[in-house]
Amino acid sequence: MRSTLAASFLAALALVVAAGPLLAADAPPKPPTPAECKKQVDEACAKTQDAMNLSGDELKELVARCDRLAPVVAAQPEPHRKVLGLRLKRCRDLYQFVLDTRERT
Amino acid sequence: MSARVRRAAVALLALACLGMKVPPPQDYGRVVLDNFSRKAGMDPVRFDHFTHRSRFTCRLCHVDVGFAMAVGATKVSAATNESGFHCGACHDGKRVIGGKAVFASCTAIKPASGTGTCERCHHRDDAVARREAYYAFAADLPRARVGGGVDWEVAEASGQIRPADHVEGLTLPRRRLEMDRDVALDSRGSWMSNVVFSHKKHAVWNGCEVCHPEIFPQTQRDAMKFTMIEIGNGLYCGVCHDKVAFPLADCDRCHTESMTGPRSRRVR
Repeated sequence: MRSTLAASFLAALALVVAAGPLLAADAPPKPPTPAECKKQVDEACAKTQDAMNLSGDELKELVARCDRLAPVVAAQPEPHRKVLGLRLKRCRDLYQFVLDTRERT
Repeated sequence: MSARVRRAAVALLALACLGMKVPPPQDYGRVVLDNFSRKAGMDPVRFDHFTHRSRFTCRLCHVDVGFAMAVGATKVSAATNESGFHCGACHDGKRVIGGKAVFASCTAIKPASGTGTCERCHHRDDAVARREAYYAFAADLPRARVGGGVDWEVAEASGQIRPADHVEGLTLPRRRLEMDRDVALDSRGSWMSNVVFSHKKHAVWNGCEVCHPEIFPQTQRDAMKFTMIEIGNGLYCGVCHDKVAFPLADCDRCHTESMTGPRSRRVR
């Protein structure tokens, strides 16, 4: 009886250990901390000085990157949401502005 | 009345009207922040742009740090400062700028009264002290022709001031923007010369994103038309000029194109 219980326990433990990585893979990604979020916004907005020299594809990628970041920033607590959101909007709009200007001319 | 006399009279009248609005230099660029101060039993914050303008670009504070361009729109509070935003982005008591630790801005924990910590920003207006402080500050800097304030453009170009566009640990270092294209803006009035807009002069302070696309959403020739009345009401150039940047009464700092040259000349 005791040996059966021990075997069952060990089998259950092995199952949990084996399934751990699979369960972790399915878990939603951890939201970035405000500091991580700021770093991501900084990096996305780091090329505004070079916007005029970037190719159309590079600008489109930066706009898309800002768009992907927007919901991440929106999920941050205040005042991070407001300050980083404003900053992200400014640089996203600039990249889009340079793209639009090129298409018009 | 001849056309020439009429033009001169209109120009003088416009100058007189605009000139009346120019405050004394120590008041120029002053912003009073009072969204929360009085409610918290404190004097409002009286911020003089000149104290920061000699050391930092407009872009650093109005883009990277997140100060809005309109008075009262930022909603600075002890909580935002304590979280490392707004004034607290630099004023945290630890950050060293120019070899000196920057004094700490307010936090949710109020320091003991009499320490002078809060009063550094939250204070009653002392016009005499402020005037003396301004003239001590501006003593060695070039003077503007109108209003008697500092000519920041000359001060920067001559290297007397070097406004930083990056603060270590706060922003990412950026390449200096190289944008030197001048743009000719036709003046509607026959008595006033055309404007030659210098990207180079503006880019030093503003980068791209202070102005584009929020203030100037179009750059195609003649796509945007604006008037001095709109500018005087705080739109377009008036977002900065007549508030912090030089006043509108200094007409020929913008209307620089020669009246004797062809009016349709393109400047590139």
